Amino acid sequence: MSKNNQGIAYDKALKKYSARKEVPAAEETLAPETLLKQFHPDYFPDSIINLKVGANKGEACHHQLAAMLQSDARIDESDLAGAPIIETDILVIGGGGAGCAAALMAAEAGARVTLATKLRLGDSNTVMAEGGIQASIEQGDTPQMHFEDTIKAGHHFSDKELVAEMVMDAPEVIRWLIQQGMQFDLDKYGDLLTRRAGGTSAARVVYYRDYTGLEMMRVLREAVLNSNIEILDYSPAVELLANESGHCAGAVLSSLKDCSYNLVRAKSVIVATGGIGRMHINQFPTSNHFGATADGLVLAYRLGAKLRDLDSFQYHPSGLSHPQHMAGHLITEGVRSAGAYMLNAHGERFVGELKTRDHVSSAILRECVEGRGITTPDGAIGVWLDTPGLELREPGMLAQRFPKLIELGKKSGINPLKVPPLIYPTLHYQNGGVVIDPNGLSSVKGLYCVGEVSGGIHGKNRIMGNALLEIISFGRRSGEHAAANCHGVKHKKISIEHLSDLRRELTQANMPMDLQGPLLFPECAKFENDSDYDGLHKNR
Amino acid sequence: MQPLNQVLLHKDCRVGPDLTAWRSTIGGKALKIALDDPSSLIPLIKDAGLRGLGGSGFPTYKKWEFLAAKKMAMEKYLICNGNEDEPGTFKDRVLLEETPFQVIEGATICALATNINHIIFYINPDQTASLASMRAAVELWEASDLYTEVKKKTPRLKYRVHASSGHYIGGEETAAIESIEGKFPFPRGKPPFPADFGVFGHPTLVNNIETLSNVSHIVRNGAEWYRDLGLGDAAGTKIYSLSGDVLEPGFYELPMGTPLSDLINIYGKGMLLDKKLKAVFTGGPSNTILTPKDIDVPLDFDSVLKRRSHLGTGAMIVVSEGTSIVKRVAEYVSFFAASSCGQCPPCKTGTYYVAQLLNNIDTGQGSQADLDSLINLCKILPGSGRCHLVDGAVNVLDSSLYHFMDEYRHAIKAT
Repeated sequence: MSKNNQGIAYDKALKKYSARKEVPAAEETLAPETLLKQFHPDYFPDSIINLKVGANKGEACHHQLAAMLQSDARIDESDLAGAPIIETDILVIGGGGAGCAAALMAAEAGARVTLATKLRLGDSNTVMAEGGIQASIEQGDTPQMHFEDTIKAGHHFSDKELVAEMVMDAPEVIRWLIQQGMQFDLDKYGDLLTRRAGGTSAARVVYYRDYTGLEMMRVLREAVLNSNIEILDYSPAVELLANESGHCAGAVLSSLKDCSYNLVRAKSVIVATGGIGRMHINQFPTSNHFGATADGLVLAYRLGAKLRDLDSFQYHPSGLSHPQHMAGHLITEGVRSAGAYMLNAHGERFVGELKTRDHVSSAILRECVEGRGITTPDGAIGVWLDTPGLELREPGMLAQRFPKLIELGKKSGINPLKVPPLIYPTLHYQNGGVVIDPNGLSSVKGLYCVGEVSGGIHGKNRIMGNALLEIISFGRRSGEHAAANCHGVKHKKISIEHLSDLRRELTQANMPMDLQGPLLFPECAKFENDSDYDGLHKNR
Repeated sequence: MQPLNQVLLHKDCRVGPDLTAWRSTIGGKALKIALDDPSSLIPLIKDAGLRGLGGSGFPTYKKWEFLAAKKMAMEKYLICNGNEDEPGTFKDRVLLEETPFQVIEGATICALATNINHIIFYINPDQTASLASMRAAVELWEASDLYTEVKKKTPRLKYRVHASSGHYIGGEETAAIESIEGKFPFPRGKPPFPADFGVFGHPTLVNNIETLSNVSHIVRNGAEWYRDLGLGDAAGTKIYSLSGDVLEPGFYELPMGTPLSDLINIYGKGMLLDKKLKAVFTGGPSNTILTPKDIDVPLDFDSVLKRRSHLGTGAMIVVSEGTSIVKRVAEYVSFFAASSCGQCPPCKTGTYYVAQLLNNIDTGQGSQADLDSLINLCKILPGSGRCHLVDGAVNVLDSSLYHFMDEYRHAIKAT
């Protein structure tokens, strides 16, 4: 990472800073494409390599992800000896928003559903989503405009069919969420309030305070717990199972509670394992949940699923940079949408705050590289998010609309009403993922991938509010489709024979086989090696 | 000459449904010889020592003789059996897809030798490419002068491509007959044998695709040539379907009697990740197990039989150290339990019960009583069904008990 410590020291910059009602807008001289090419982390030199094995052989991929996709499996035939088999119709892997939505729809359609989650139900990035969820429900807004905004922000790399389906789903998604019991911020007439996301043409993000995702997860979790869905918690999937024709037929779960493996035989599998943030691509801090370690990508790739856009990641502009222990924590884009400026060490605005995320992040990185950043004694760097200025213009609004920001201020000992938080881009989202069709079905029969693990919807850059929309839209679609198509499916045999194919390919391509995947837990939390952690070891 | 792919999978044969390409080399030559003197065909096949390559190893000429003897029958059927659905076997689908004319010519010569007038290609619908290739090839064949020539001799000869129901059991010869009659593929009791009472009561011959594929080559090159292809006492070549823990699995046409070690180490490029060989499930799961001490066994019908095993379809599923034999056998028996047509109670309940006992033992919930039951069932079940499905399930169980009893005992002790 090209951090440049030639910025201005924190104390000095803070003394220079004062909250002002008006700051002149930035004059942008650099063309957006040039800005991205020069400063966006996706363009860091030597970070992209070509894959050597699998369905995407020869295609570009970030080297950290490539190492994981081309890693050896964690298990072998011998690990499965004596493993009990759990029978179900539909196995959902992942207990976040997409997984819950899929499981609920499938169970409603009458299928037997088992939901496996790495940690607890609801431990996910869904709860991290703050800004809101997009739906063209305002007067004067249309799904067509939503479609065009999404395609444009994704630099025209999106799968248009998927985007069209999603934006048309959006109003119904909001209706369904309200039926589930989710609350949204309302005006005095009871209408849904909306705010504008960066890079969009209309205010269409509906929200609840600045913890929309948490509220969403609350109701989905309640709904799942009150259904007949079987929940297997603390059970990360370590491998998918294939039938005799190579179709997905279940998964191998590692039960963390009793250190054993369970096989789940399912007619179809819905993978909703989320993203990749905890792999700390390019060594960036991340806003992501502990479990976001690209498991789903690795498992699906081994079974032969085609992936896409593996060289494109989203860095959210406003991740907290100081204090150090809070690094990477997210401050919602909603704060900028509400009118907060971003200022460099000289107190100047340097970019349109509501440009697309990749554009804004690149501009922040430029300020830091070119010596206009603010440096802290512990080596962090960043720019100001001018919340005190917003407080001057709109008194009381921050406290009312952004309680999570106020809470974050308390945790970090910086009151955002008086002192501007120091922000720096944080690894936020994996733009690419598994190639899917409008039902969430991947290129492998019986394998659905929904939510962040899937790719194609956001092209090379996502806009705020489309992630929450995507997980519910495609989660519901996959659940319905899987339930409707599981009748008559009968797997004669379930096995991990596809791992032999993987090992064969790796051997023939002379690849190292010392790394084992999926990662399951971040590097900082390797429980298996921690002899003090008795809970995970008692049977070994 | 290179031992690999010299006859059936020779590049001249693998032209797909392209009649011109096929005729530009060897295509049609054998048919001309056969048309000149059909009566010499059965003695030639007998002399060559061609055997049923679908797993039985039954001398082909005998089956042909039964049919040829039915001189009074007006309608006679040949079923070219390509239902192939055993895990680990994948040879017929290649022959059908890549060498359709080799199959058609072989079947036609067989029809000439036995006065058969209905040829039915019976193909597993899951092999969509094979089905499409055969359909295209039959259409081309019927429009060609070869067919006109044949019709001069047997004017009533007709071809049909029939997609089977896709059930495993549909590959059994009497089940195939039921399927062709438009019914569910329930195997029939024998006797009467198909040669006496087959499709709609007419004499019927059922031959495997690989067996028929050899016919044109034998007619063209003679019996001695065919016998010389094999190693030792064996004749001809065999397509081995190699799968499991080897570096390069695949289908390899090699001289009949090629040692197992050559197949694994030379053609399969050795064990995957240099693991140790633990066992080889031969001929697909309906057969038995070979162990590392059998690595030198020549892979032909008689030599394999001497090692308490069967060559079967030529499928070799290689299993390395670390694989649980109990689990593997449980999987195979579960496959049989799911494939049982349900006509015969001992098979329906027997295979299911054996699978359940094996799963219990594998998951650490088995007892000595369960193991005793398994041993007992191995004695009771064989021969109790109309077809050999239940025997197949017991074969693999019995063989695993013989070679890996320690592993079963250990699985029980662990509880």
